Amino acid sequence: MSSKVPDPILHSAAWRISLWATLAFAIGTMLVFAMLHRFVANDIQQRSDAWLSGEVAVLGDVAARTPKDRLYGRVVREVAELASREVPDKTRSSSNENDSVFFLQAGDDGPLKLWVGTGDGMPNLAAIRARKFASDVPYDLNVKGFNYPFRVASVRLDDGSHIYLGLSERDELRVLRNLRIRFVCLWLLIVSFGAAIVFFVTRRMLGHVRDMTEAASRIGQSDLSSRVPTSKRNDEVGHLARTLNHMLDRIENTVHQLHTITDALAHDLRSPLTAIRGKLETTLSNDVRADQAEPIVSAIDELDRLTDFLNTSLDVAEAKADALRLSRTEIDLDELVRGMVGLYEPSMSDKGLGVQVRSAGSVKVLADAALLHRVISNLLDNELKHLPAACTVSLLLHANEDMAILIVEDDGPGFDIDVRRHLFERRVRGRESRGHGLGLAFVEAVVRVHGGSVTADNCDEGGARLSITLPLWKAAPDAESHPLVLAKG
Amino acid sequence: MRLLLVEDEPEIQSFVKQSLVEAGYEVHTAEDGTTAIQLASKHVYHGLIVDLGLPDQDGIELILQLRRSGVTSPVLILSARRSVDDRVKGLELGGDDYLTKPFALAELLARMRNLLRRNSSPPEDPTRLRICDLELDMLKRRATRGDEVLNLSPQEFVLLEYLCRHAGRVVTRSMLLKEVWGMRIQPDTNVVDVHIYRLRGKIDTVGREPLIKTLRGIGYVLKGT
Repeated sequence: MSSKVPDPILHSAAWRISLWATLAFAIGTMLVFAMLHRFVANDIQQRSDAWLSGEVAVLGDVAARTPKDRLYGRVVREVAELASREVPDKTRSSSNENDSVFFLQAGDDGPLKLWVGTGDGMPNLAAIRARKFASDVPYDLNVKGFNYPFRVASVRLDDGSHIYLGLSERDELRVLRNLRIRFVCLWLLIVSFGAAIVFFVTRRMLGHVRDMTEAASRIGQSDLSSRVPTSKRNDEVGHLARTLNHMLDRIENTVHQLHTITDALAHDLRSPLTAIRGKLETTLSNDVRADQAEPIVSAIDELDRLTDFLNTSLDVAEAKADALRLSRTEIDLDELVRGMVGLYEPSMSDKGLGVQVRSAGSVKVLADAALLHRVISNLLDNELKHLPAACTVSLLLHANEDMAILIVEDDGPGFDIDVRRHLFERRVRGRESRGHGLGLAFVEAVVRVHGGSVTADNCDEGGARLSITLPLWKAAPDAESHPLVLAKG
Repeated sequence: MRLLLVEDEPEIQSFVKQSLVEAGYEVHTAEDGTTAIQLASKHVYHGLIVDLGLPDQDGIELILQLRRSGVTSPVLILSARRSVDDRVKGLELGGDDYLTKPFALAELLARMRNLLRRNSSPPEDPTRLRICDLELDMLKRRATRGDEVLNLSPQEFVLLEYLCRHAGRVVTRSMLLKEVWGMRIQPDTNVVDVHIYRLRGKIDTVGREPLIKTLRGIGYVLKGT
């Protein structure tokens, strides 16, 4: 059965649980990181903004107090150079060329008044002028030719020109990128580690449950004396195992009681029946007159019918309680059906009934031979008793992937609507039936106990149709090597 | 031949004993396991009939005990249990047989005879069976009555063969179902009878001595006068 599952791990609950747990864990840690990242980025931004504002204020001050001559240019350049060295976390490997800071003084229009930085400063000026509005707080500025934006602070001088101090965000972004890379690596590690732990823990836990399930299903099919494996642990799984075993104890007790009762009932009824039958038979063989023999013969017949009724009703009772004792053997349904039809064919043709078998060949099931024989003979008895002359009974046998399907249909009047609904209940029979009304209840009970099903309906053309399915017996090589190895108690 | 009948129900014991005695056996009876063991240690029995529900012990235990003490004779088990115990089946595989109650006396006798024969003499020559002017050639699977070849289906031949092998003795419907068709069923229709009628129609043709006789309520017997 388990061989049909394509990939047992992908279909296990452990897999699903660990998948969801990992997903929740991953999302949670990701959110925490996002918040941290945001906090760090803001902090860095604030620090650099404060520095920028401070520096540009100093420069503005210097510019205001220094005369507008060459000395002024030198002083400002010095201050700007100085500022550029104070940039936090500057890459040591970068070239001598200082492209992380620029200083620029310009009026609202006209050329650059003063420029310190990489290049000629024109793209920077263009970018600043492209901004429609000036602001006192630092802002981001994208400059053509530079990969990273600049953070720019400005101050207005008395002569109407502005001093702009720009600080590349390259280093800041690098810090944040390093942070992200490290986090992602760590995050992947933690998440996969967590997933593995969750998966193995749940798998181990559910492994116990699976063992129990397998054991329990085998118990249902074979004997009731086995028990599911229990662990010493006092958790839910251990509790489940113990509860299951308690339940099995009770079921075994109940079934045992049922057997005791039915056996006692059968025994107590059979002994007198045997005695009566024996006496009648002895009388019959003592050369009685023909007119005396007649009532004795019919008494024996009635006794046999009573015995059959007793057997069948006890079987149905046990089968309904899932307590029928089966001794399963490999049975070829094709062979069985043909044998049965061979037995019934003369009686059928005497009654003017046709019978035909359509079978796709050997169909093997694992079943109790005696019970299955009785099932088929019950069905054919039914047809023989109820079908009007000139009708035909068809037995169709085939198999699909894992079920054997036997359809018994006829072209007679079909089932009564009111009877059909209760067809498989005990004591239900058609008006003209002489039987004890157990036939189909017995069929249904036996088939169900074998893991199959019975359905009854009327064909479109009007006849009755009974379909029986039984699990196919596949001569799997490992089927034999799977004896019950179960922990007791 | 001496038989031991172990059965605690006095009524059943009495009529089984009676019919066994009528069939020509010497019969000892025991009501419980202890008596049975004592008897078996004093006498040699050719066959045993043991009821499984004994007052003092389980019939299976008794049989195992007898086997341990060296009794090798065949055992016919009588069981009032419905589904036959696996252990009984085990015994059956070991060469013994069982009957569930209620049973036909004719069947009990037939089974007992089978067991005793299985145990004693080697099987008779199987190639040719002859009852009166009915002859069965087992190799050619052909039956003749006088000089007329009978047109039998393979199934009918097997049925006739079984009747011939038990010629002169009663065979019941359930025996035929089990031995000829290999089924332990009790159909509540006359399926077996129809087979017998058909066979009779081919063998006991008008003008010939009828060989297959019906014993109403019991079964059939094939015998010549």
